[in-house]
Formats: sequence, C-alpha cells, structure tokens
Amino acid sequence: MADIFNFIFGVVRNIFRMFSSSRNPLNNSLNIFIKCNTGNTLTVGLDPKWDIKDVKNIIAPKLGANPDEVKIIFAGKELDDSIIIEDCDLGEQSTLHAVKLKDLSIRATKQKKCSLLRETVEDEDEITLLQEKNNRDKSHFYVYCSVCAAMKIGKLRIRCSKCKSGAFTVDTDPKSWNDVLKPNKISGHCEQNDCPDGVFGWAQFYFRCAEHICQGENDIAVPLYLLKNNLRKIPCLACTEIKDIVFVFTCREAHVTCLECFRVYAVLRLRERQFVLDDSFGYTISCPVGCENSLIDECHHFKLLTKEQYEMYQKFATEEYILKAGGVLCPQPGCGEGIIVDLKCDKIVCVNGCGYVFCRKCLQGYHIGECNSVDNNISIDNIQHVTDPAKALQARWDEATNVAIRVTTKPCPKCRTATERSGGCMHMICTRCSFHWCWVCQIEWSRDCMGTHWFG
Amino acid sequence: MASPSPSERRLQKELSSLMKDPPPGVSVDANAVYQHLNLWNVHMKGADGTLYQGEDFQLQFRFSSKYPFDSPEVTFVGDNIPIHPHVYSNGHICLSILTDDWSPALSVQSVCLSIISMLSSCKEKASTLSIEKH
Ligand SMILES: [Zn+2]
Ligand SMILES: [Zn+2]
Ligand SMILES: [Zn+2]
Ligand SMILES: [Zn+2]
Ligand SMILES: [Zn+2]
Ligand SMILES: [Zn+2]
Ligand SMILES: [Zn+2]
Ligand SMILES: [Zn+2]
Repeated sequence: MADIFNFIFGVVRNIFRMFSSSRNPLNNSLNIFIKCNTGNTLTVGLDPKWDIKDVKNIIAPKLGANPDEVKIIFAGKELDDSIIIEDCDLGEQSTLHAVKLKDLSIRATKQKKCSLLRETVEDEDEITLLQEKNNRDKSHFYVYCSVCAAMKIGKLRIRCSKCKSGAFTVDTDPKSWNDVLKPNKISGHCEQNDCPDGVFGWAQFYFRCAEHICQGENDIAVPLYLLKNNLRKIPCLACTEIKDIVFVFTCREAHVTCLECFRVYAVLRLRERQFVLDDSFGYTISCPVGCENSLIDECHHFKLLTKEQYEMYQKFATEEYILKAGGVLCPQPGCGEGIIVDLKCDKIVCVNGCGYVFCRKCLQGYHIGECNSVDNNISIDNIQHVTDPAKALQARWDEATNVAIRVTTKPCPKCRTATERSGGCMHMICTRCSFHWCWVCQIEWSRDCMGTHWFG
Repeated sequence: MASPSPSERRLQKELSSLMKDPPPGVSVDANAVYQHLNLWNVHMKGADGTLYQGEDFQLQFRFSSKYPFDSPEVTFVGDNIPIHPHVYSNGHICLSILTDDWSPALSVQSVCLSIISMLSSCKEKASTLSIEKH
C-alpha cells in the first residue's frame, strides 16, 4: 500500500516539477490514465506540448526502469519519443499503455519507424488521398454514441482480442473496413504480462465517441461505416447537393445520398412498410435506385433517424419478427400489439396491449368450436337467444348487423388488421401497414385485379 | 421562411437545368412553375421525321413530397393527346420508368427524353391500349 502511495506521490511531484518550470501551467493539462502491463493504472496530467520522451521520464521510475526501457502504446502503435502529445489525438481521460521491456535486444530488432495509426480507413485509392495533410481535418469515422444519443465523430481504438488489453501493437495498418469489422484480420503483439495468447495475437478494433469524456472500458460506440467523408465531392443522388458527409449504399455502384435525403428516404419507406426483414441484416432497406444486393447491413445506421422515427422503426421491426416467427398482431384497431402464440392454443389474449381476447385462426373475438367463415359468421351467443321470441327478433337484428360487419371488413392479408370496405372499389389500402390489396382475391393488388374486378 | 426540403431543392435544380439545357423540342413554362413548384407544364414538339412532326403536346408533371424517391405523375394534357399505343386517350402514359422502374437517379429531363424516344420510335399511329391489356 505504502508503495502505491509513494508511487503516486512521485508522479504528482514529478508533474509538479515539470509544470513549475513550464510557462503553460495546469489549466492546459490533459488528464490521462497510464496503464502499465504490471497491472497498475496511474492518473497523470500531461501538457499537450510534451513529447513521449517526457512521458517516459515520468513513468519510468514508477516501473522501476530506465526511460529507454519503457515503451508507450496507443491505439495499436508504439509511440516514438519525438511524438508530441497533442498530435496523438488523445481525448480527456484517454488511456496510454506503458510497457516495461523485459529484453532490450528484442526491441532493437522490432523497432520500426512508428507513425500514428491513421484516423480513417477508406478503400484502396483513397488511402493516398487521405495522407495529404489538408484532408486530415475533414476525415473522420462516424459512430452512433449511446451516451450522447447522437451521431458523433468516432476514434478507432485497438486492443488484444484475447485479454482486451490496450498494450497491443499491430503488425500492419488496417486497410479497409473489412480489416476492422471482421475478427482476426490484423495480427500484432500483446504486451500484457498474463495474456493467454502470449506475445502474438489478433487485434480487436473498436470505436470511442470523440465528443464526450471517456467513461471507462465499456464506453464503446457503434461504427456507422456507411457514412463517409465526401472527399470525392459526389453529389447526392436525390437532392444533387454536394455535402461533406454522405451515406454510401452497399451496392456495387456505391450510390450516394446526403444524410438528410437518407433520412427522408428511410422514413418514407418505413411508413410504407417497404422495409424487409433479412435473416442476417435485420429490418432494413436497399439502395433507393433499387440495386441488387444493396441492403443496409448494419441496422444502427437507422439511428440517424429522429428518436420518434427510430421508435417506429423498432416497433415495425418487432412486428415483422413476430409475424415471421408465427406470432400474430392484435387485430383490435389502434392496438396492433405483437403477440407470440402457442400453436396448440387458439385462444389469444392481448396481454401487453389492449386485453382483447381473440381466436388465433380467424382473428375474430374468441369463440368455442370451429371458426365460421368470414361471410356468414354467426356467433354462438346469437343462436342461444333465439329461444325467446322477443329476443329472437333482436337476435335477427344482431345477426344482421353481425353479418353486415363481417361482410364489410376483412383482415389485411399482410398485417391482419380488420379493414372496412367503403364504396364499390375492390382496391383496399390497409390503414395500418399501407399494404395495397384486393378485396376479392385477398392478396396484393395487381393490374390483373384492376382489369377483371376493379369495381363491383 | 423554412429552408427548402430536399425535394424542393432538387426540383429547383432540375428546373434551372431544364431551362438552360432542354432536350430538343422541349420547353417548360417557368412562370407557372414558380407559382407551384410541384406542378410543371412542359411543352413538347413532335420531332421532325417522325409521325408526330408538326404536332404540339403538353405534358403535366405532378411531384409529391416523396419526389425523387417516388416517381412524378406524368400525363399528356390539353386538346392534343398523341395517338400512340402506349398513351391512353385520357393522357395517361404507359412507361415503366414512371412506375416500377423509376429510380431517383432519373429526372424530368430523362423522362422527357424517354417520352420523345417512345414517340419517335412509333411506326404506326395505333389506337390506345385498353385498360385490361395494360
Ligand atoms: Zn458521445
Ligand atoms: Zn493479450
Ligand atoms: Zn440529398
Ligand atoms: Zn445503388
Ligand atoms: Zn391489443
Ligand atoms: Zn376462429
Ligand atoms: Zn395491413
Ligand atoms: Zn383481385
């Protein structure tokens, strides 16, 4: 315990000394965690103008080592002595990894000219483009940050895929999203003392939100990798404007829209229930041009919608999942709650919704015995009343209205919502899911329906 | 005034490009469009050397707020509706790019070009389609 105390005290004293000699004191310092491969973590304030050599000078005594026996690792790269802190793109409360070298000779052979990891991965020919200094400020990764609850600029970070330690250096730079998103693409060295993978391992890439102070190890953001910096100045295919950030669809043609048009497009197709439920990608849409194999393969991109729109997206997606899994949607108008059903039981209760009790097969109010066909549905209740003459008359009334109701409503073939037919047109548009269907055929409305029984 | 929607921005751009660089025989009634950006009247001349040479037609483009993700509604209007197998007497045009094959990468310009080529390729002024055959 006393050791740790001395240790921290030492660091503080060291920092103090360095700041007192600097003209740019504490108000400009960055609070950084330094994690050592021995397991200790230190909190230090670093002057952004310092270089890595200065950092090593502070850290080395705490590791019981000389400054040149220490290496500093950040985002998958060992940092050179001459690198200035402010060029490292460290955010407040970022973590640097300090490793005490066991064998100096290994280091000598491994020493490479280390540059910082590029902050962007783009495809092939854009790599050279990105190395131009003037593009650096415009090139970012974009993430969905759940802490900020918004799309934000993200930072690519690297750790050991096995022990999750950040004391990990990569053998090669990632060159594409494939390298970053798929496991075991980029190899490297793990410097963590007790790593089960030993020295050689695979890099695991992840993202942090650059716009809030890091809240610890699990503060990870989802990459929105279809958002790109529009360095090629491609106009949006919908509004034709050239925007800085664009949405690039996964089709071979890589069609581009601006973010605003992406939102308009997604909401439009969502309201029309034109999204599809894909087994591997989830509830999604394809390129607006209708290209083949262009489904958006990461549904977090729909987080670009507003909160309300995203809630609608989730609701619709859940409904589709339930229908696909053999469940039903509550047929009560205005409810539509998705219900997972037991196929052995025909009685369904809308438990989490309106409480309606209905028949699994005909979606009418629950009944005992066979379902009556839609056209002549007479409920058992009505038949029981017929014994009393006064009631018999009423029963006929009930029966008549009952029949009338049955005949003028049919369930939408897509979502099963009871839809009322008004007028003589057979072309039905579901009020709930906007599905166009034919009253006669009870399937999707077609030109054939138009030609043979449009009216009647 | 609220900033224009993507759909309005797109229509404004298309309007100026159509005025600057119209397909042959096509002109747009810009003054009317300025009043209603979502309703365009486009004049089209029957191309020389075709069955429609010397004829004047009027097309009406109606754009919903879903444009360009959904197609515009395009019909022939006025008293001269071209006699063509894919044009109904009420002005409705049977052209796949106006329904199933629409893509936001198309434009008023490309629709006009398709209609011109549809008219130009006609060899015989046949009667219009019946609705069943559509
Ligand atoms: Zn954030
Ligand atoms: Zn490891
Ligand atoms: Zn756009
Ligand atoms: Zn496409
Ligand atoms: Zn319900
Ligand atoms: Zn039933
Ligand atoms: Zn429906
Ligand atoms: Zn039908």
